[in-house]
Amino acid sequence: MKRISVTVSLNRSTLQFDDAAYARLENYLAESASLLEGDPDPQEILSDLEQAVADQCARRLRPDQTVVTLAELVPALEEIGSVQTPAASVGPEQATRATSRPLQQVSEGAVISGVCQGLARYFGLNVTALRIFAVLLLLVTGGGVILVYFALMLLFPYAPLESGSQPIRWLPAKSRAFTEFLREKLSLATS
Amino acid sequence: MLVESKLAPIRKGLLEFLVLKIVGARSVYVPDILRRLAGTEFTTQEGTLYPLLSKLRREDLVQYDWQESDAGPPRKYYRLTDAGRAQLAALDDYWNRINHTIADMGH
Repeated sequence: MKRISVTVSLNRSTLQFDDAAYARLENYLAESASLLEGDPDPQEILSDLEQAVADQCARRLRPDQTVVTLAELVPALEEIGSVQTPAASVGPEQATRATSRPLQQVSEGAVISGVCQGLARYFGLNVTALRIFAVLLLLVTGGGVILVYFALMLLFPYAPLESGSQPIRWLPAKSRAFTEFLREKLSLATS
Repeated sequence: MLVESKLAPIRKGLLEFLVLKIVGARSVYVPDILRRLAGTEFTTQEGTLYPLLSKLRREDLVQYDWQESDAGPPRKYYRLTDAGRAQLAALDDYWNRINHTIADMGH
């Protein structure tokens, strides 16, 4: 037995997709969602996009065809294009949003996991000064600060990766993967 | 090509102005806007328009109403709010001033 198609509900429409088209669609929507990270109302835009995909695919189906394949989906997605967030107007609103950013870890340019960079960004401190202070604390506390760092690493969410910025070094990438692995284990254990 | 890429940021910034103009002329749904812009310097895609319209709605410049369609699900028809009309008038005015400035340079 082989699964022929999946029924997909896209906003206000329902369509049948074959497996390959479904995977491609999932991919597109996940990519759109990640591009909309930081948008105050991503759900509305995602619903609009889902509707656009449904309309575009339905328009491309032959009269006798019921299942959407890549042959319809790929040109449909090409016509819709990937998500472009509007040019942010520079204003006071922008400035407050930048400072009210939550405490996060920043993987790009991090030394260990990005906790210092996140703290520096949040409090508006010089990151090098903060790192030196952290090393001093390490000496003073006899390593106790390592536990604090580890706790913060588990607590702070990771800032979304910014495309076009510097690449992530080996240790921050491993730390991030390790943290995400641990979080998953912990949430499995509690649920 | 070189000229086009030099003015790319301006075109990007002007898209919002043009969308307000289109929505201001009559209530439209997204495919209408796309068709209106197709073939111009401002050809765009749904992936760009939906985030922009969502922002304009949040800024209370546009509003939408659901309208039934003969084929398929109901459609979102966008129109300007009073604030949107005021903004469009101000943008129009500013754009005219810029055009005058550009025309006057080099004389």
